[in-house]
Amino acid sequence: MVTQSSSSSPGGASYTHASVIGGGSWGTALAHLMAVAGIKVKLWMRSEERVREINATHTNSRYLKDRPIHPAIEATSDLRSAASFAETLIVAIPSANFRSVAFELGECVSGDQILVSATKGFEAERLTRMSQILREETCCLKVGAISGPNLADEVMDNQPTATVVASPLEEVVEKVGLLLAGPTLRVYGNHDLVGVEVMGALKNIIAIAAGVCTGMGYGQNSLAMLLTRGLAEISRFGEALGADRMTALGLAGLGDLIATCASPLSRNNSLGRKLAAGMSLAEAQADSIKVAEGVNTTYAASKHAARLGVDMPITRAVNAILFQEHKPADVLVKLMSRANRYEHNEVPIDAPRPVEGSVIDTALSVAARNRGW
Amino acid sequence: MQNALRDAAIVEVRSRVLEACLMQSQLPDGMPLDVLVNDTLYHERKRLEIDRKSPTWAEDLAFWDGIKNRLGRASDHEIKDILKSVLERFTEEIRGNFSPVLYGVATRIMPRALPMLLNAMSPKRLLQRGLPDIAETIRIQGNVAAIKRMNELGTVILTPTHVSNLDSPVIGWAIFAMGLPAFTYGAGLNLFSNPVMSLFMRNLGAYRVDRQKTAPLYKDVLKEYATVSLELGQPNLFFPAGTRVRSGQVEQRLKLGLLSSGLRAYTNNLLKKKEKQNIYIVPCTLNYHLVLEAETLIEDHLQREGKARYIILDDESTRARKILNFTQNLINLDARITVHIGDPIDPFGNQVDPETGASIDRHGREIDIRRYVTDRQGVPVHLPQRDRVYTAEAGEAIGREFLKHNVIVSTQLVAFTLWEMLRHRHRELDMYRLIRTGDEGAGTSASTLVERVLRVWQALRAREARRELHLEEGVVQTGDAATIVQTALRHFGTYHAKPVLARRGDRVFSEDMKLLFYYSNRLRGYGLEKELEPILKEVA
Repeated sequence: MVTQSSSSSPGGASYTHASVIGGGSWGTALAHLMAVAGIKVKLWMRSEERVREINATHTNSRYLKDRPIHPAIEATSDLRSAASFAETLIVAIPSANFRSVAFELGECVSGDQILVSATKGFEAERLTRMSQILREETCCLKVGAISGPNLADEVMDNQPTATVVASPLEEVVEKVGLLLAGPTLRVYGNHDLVGVEVMGALKNIIAIAAGVCTGMGYGQNSLAMLLTRGLAEISRFGEALGADRMTALGLAGLGDLIATCASPLSRNNSLGRKLAAGMSLAEAQADSIKVAEGVNTTYAASKHAARLGVDMPITRAVNAILFQEHKPADVLVKLMSRANRYEHNEVPIDAPRPVEGSVIDTALSVAARNRGW
Repeated sequence: MQNALRDAAIVEVRSRVLEACLMQSQLPDGMPLDVLVNDTLYHERKRLEIDRKSPTWAEDLAFWDGIKNRLGRASDHEIKDILKSVLERFTEEIRGNFSPVLYGVATRIMPRALPMLLNAMSPKRLLQRGLPDIAETIRIQGNVAAIKRMNELGTVILTPTHVSNLDSPVIGWAIFAMGLPAFTYGAGLNLFSNPVMSLFMRNLGAYRVDRQKTAPLYKDVLKEYATVSLELGQPNLFFPAGTRVRSGQVEQRLKLGLLSSGLRAYTNNLLKKKEKQNIYIVPCTLNYHLVLEAETLIEDHLQREGKARYIILDDESTRARKILNFTQNLINLDARITVHIGDPIDPFGNQVDPETGASIDRHGREIDIRRYVTDRQGVPVHLPQRDRVYTAEAGEAIGREFLKHNVIVSTQLVAFTLWEMLRHRHRELDMYRLIRTGDEGAGTSASTLVERVLRVWQALRAREARRELHLEEGVVQTGDAATIVQTALRHFGTYHAKPVLARRGDRVFSEDMKLLFYYSNRLRGYGLEKELEPILKEVA
């Protein structure tokens, strides 16, 4: 039962309290960031052991090694108390468990609360975005997402960066923006929630590809080609889902892509490098405790690309390496031998073009074509 | 709406809109009152240049000329008076007239008088030819209990699909037949164009909406009238598509302007601590075997692709003979118009418990919806940007309900099957060429058509089991494909100028590709095209 009297309104005022649901590296980093700015933060996680560790020693050694976490953060394993602590809840749960936690959250939130996803991924079956899951599993309508070039370790080290807060509601952008913005984090708003979430998720596919590329010993030319063409294909996919193309060129698209593809810290990138070194997917995943979201996303995007009528050669290639045990070298040969195309519309350069123009133009074109031009 | 209530509503609308105009004019980036009046004057004069057929043309012109003269030498105080008279003019025009006695008479006579209502034909001539009784042909089904319950618990907004000018009287009659009170609704001026129709429309609770009037101030007045009437507990009827759907599809892109008055009324009810605060939206579908104006609508759809939309003022529904043929066909063919009442939702798009009226989430957990609009102190607030997003959610929910409660009839099923078969057979043609060339006289074997109809029916049946749509009671329910095709052919052969389909020997020919396309469109939005592609593109 979600109905509550107005006296039991969630605890803290909009700009002074926040709860983070999920104590992985990104969830902890977000909590830390806000605590540094003087906001009272509750951090929810399931493991009692880690709750005790964070509250006692102010570290989260499983995910962030010995990096100190702000002592004002209060960790808890009681979801209800975390949910009622603040008006705004930031949910940073791996996409595989996102729905079940969101369902539990649905038991303890009310319609005036703001729920924001910080997870970059899809649910494969219906290509459901995380904010959609929040809508489906809770009564909250004020939902949004945050995304951008935000590698957790760098954020913990107080290195300057920027993030995008996306929601169709100005209220969500404003309130979450005020919570997150600080001396090391700039906040940009965007109403294109679909675009921001889709880009944040899809860029992980390209990050795996970039890891493979680097792992195979290729240099900057190859990487640049991969990033650019990767951006082209994920922005096409985003458009098919209703995203604004401009979002692909923003922080959640290009920005995040550069960060994850260039950084050895990125989970997806390092997974790619392990694959290039000859590990199988299972071996590479067993090698890290952090979840590489790109694996799920590659599966989901490959599954839906044909339905949406979007050609995604790089995603197909990553999918072949991940799930069909193709060798990276073979996949690369296949990618490089694709027909040469026009850059923007993907039409093969040597494809017969429709005859157009005036009568004379048409006649001349046909004559030239008949001569083998 | 009762006359006293209506007068109260009119007064309230005037004062609210006037107050809003004054308030915004004080803001640094607000519109000064003289600019506001001038803007309205501009829109109205522009309308009068084109809309010369308007019955109040001369009167309107005189009024706006007067406004123009007064504006030229008006002081600040006088401008306020001018604004008042503009608002008075707009509100007087939309004012309906309701007589409870006439309402009872109207609803009882209406079904029989429908052909008379829709045209200016003399009642005498109609009587000579015999009066078809629409009432017998309207079948009301779906969640009727819920709409009645919602009407007790709060204020209902009924939102039907919109394909025909017949929709207004049909739904008007259905409301009466369900034992509900008269609903307030804004009907286009063209429905008031003949005196008999006008009298009945007013007495069915309709107020006048002039779609030619584009002045933003006029639209504000209309929207506020709906809001105020909801706050007064008056159930409303909105066609959320705004205008008749041209393509024949189940509408998904809805006009949110009027719909947002539901949310606004709800918030005002909270502010005023009204006893009955809740507003319930009840989507419903109107399903016809044949659509009265199909030819004009699809023609407009095809022409309009990429062009600005225009308002059809003259179509089949204004032509006497057409309407008579249409209604007589309904009787002769025993074709029923199905009014399917959907499940209630709240102004935020949440489902509503049909018994308690409480909003529930997708897991059936109760939601305290006041929280969506209250600030941290529990005080309700209007936030237009937020409310637009909420209304968009409600609009999407209505779209989903429309698909879910769409009732598939034989003509649509057969048209869809054949259209898709032809489309695959002539893959090299784009849609417009296919419509122009048709199937080039070759026709389709009747037995193949029956077999494919069965396959489409099976896919539809699976969707019906998943509660994604409904199949019409009777022939379509049985799944007897041969009879379904026969029934569709019978309908298609009778009413339209050219039969949509005709059977010659053992082949079926499509005689009007535009209409075939039109009727096939009702089955779009369910992913059938993709799923059935392998079956429908098979060459027989």
